[in-house]
Amino acid sequence: MSGGGSLGGGGSKSKRGNTKRKTKERKGFHIDMTPLVDITFLLLTFFMFTTTMATPQVMEMSLPPEVDTPIDVKCSELLNILIDDDDRVMWYYCDGLLEEVTDTKKVREISFEYNLRDDIKNKLIIALKVSEHANYGLVVNILDELNLAEMNIISELTGTGEDRRRKFTIAKLTELDYEKIAAEMPMESGIFESDEE
Amino acid sequence: MPKVKQKRVGFLIDMTPLVDITFLLLTFFMFTAKFKSEADSEQKFFIERPKASADTSKLPEVNLAIVKVAFADSTKADTAYYFTMTNKDEFLQVKNMTTSLAAEQKENAQLQISLETLDELLSNVQKINNETKFAIDADRSLPFNWIYSAMDKLRKNRFTVFNYVTETQQ
Repeated sequence: MSGGGSLGGGGSKSKRGNTKRKTKERKGFHIDMTPLVDITFLLLTFFMFTTTMATPQVMEMSLPPEVDTPIDVKCSELLNILIDDDDRVMWYYCDGLLEEVTDTKKVREISFEYNLRDDIKNKLIIALKVSEHANYGLVVNILDELNLAEMNIISELTGTGEDRRRKFTIAKLTELDYEKIAAEMPMESGIFESDEE
Repeated sequence: MPKVKQKRVGFLIDMTPLVDITFLLLTFFMFTAKFKSEADSEQKFFIERPKASADTSKLPEVNLAIVKVAFADSTKADTAYYFTMTNKDEFLQVKNMTTSLAAEQKENAQLQISLETLDELLSNVQKINNETKFAIDADRSLPFNWIYSAMDKLRKNRFTVFNYVTETQQ
């Protein structure tokens, strides 16, 4: 115990009469933190490298259920968006002429404009017809634009008392569509050839 | 004259703030870390997801079945379908019910399958848990035909609502 220390417990008391307690000299101590830091950094780097920050997102898609009998649709309620073999995006309304869309953002404007036309509001069906050889990334981009348009349409319709009923379908290009494209929107290379002749 | 030997004075750096920050980062990364699932670690291909911006919802984590479509090899001529489910018990049941799967294939956490097998798997999923959510994870440079075929199988098995896995557009 401290009584037998070199300072001589009893002796110090007598020297300083009024202090009862012995003031112990505090010695600062150091813990060697190096191994702790080593391990911590090791774990830190491990977790830093293994985490994947960007979690994938999703785009919801709902297909109309399969029907055996084809349903007749009024021509004035149908807007077609076509994507052909060479990733060209075209659209036509009703039985109108094909028009090429050079920027996918245009699709959003088209959907917005036609979906809010007074006569076909909430009745319009947008059919996305995609060639078998079209690029999947492009299809998702078009779907994305349509979804963005949908947000604008819903915000336009709120307050008018009407609920938005979205009508959309996706299908493959049919023979008729190919014929329409060939007739109205032939390949550019074909045009050049005919110019040279 | 002999050189005066300088006495080396040991010095100490106060590591406390460093340790503080390190621990803070460590705990952060530990809690946010999400490890690759078994199915992902078996995967030998990389999927470049299409970019989209409208939908900000994240991939559901329970009762999810993923149909992956990717190029079968580097020639990019053929495409392979892969199928996996997050619910292990149900996945096992589905695998056992599917007759067109080879016995050694049933061990895998991610199945490489043909379209016909996909069809059979989907109908078994419908029988076991029709609440299962589906996601199609496909490479953005694939021809649409491959995805359309998978979608068609989904639709035939009455899974008409599903998700495309995408990446955020910058």
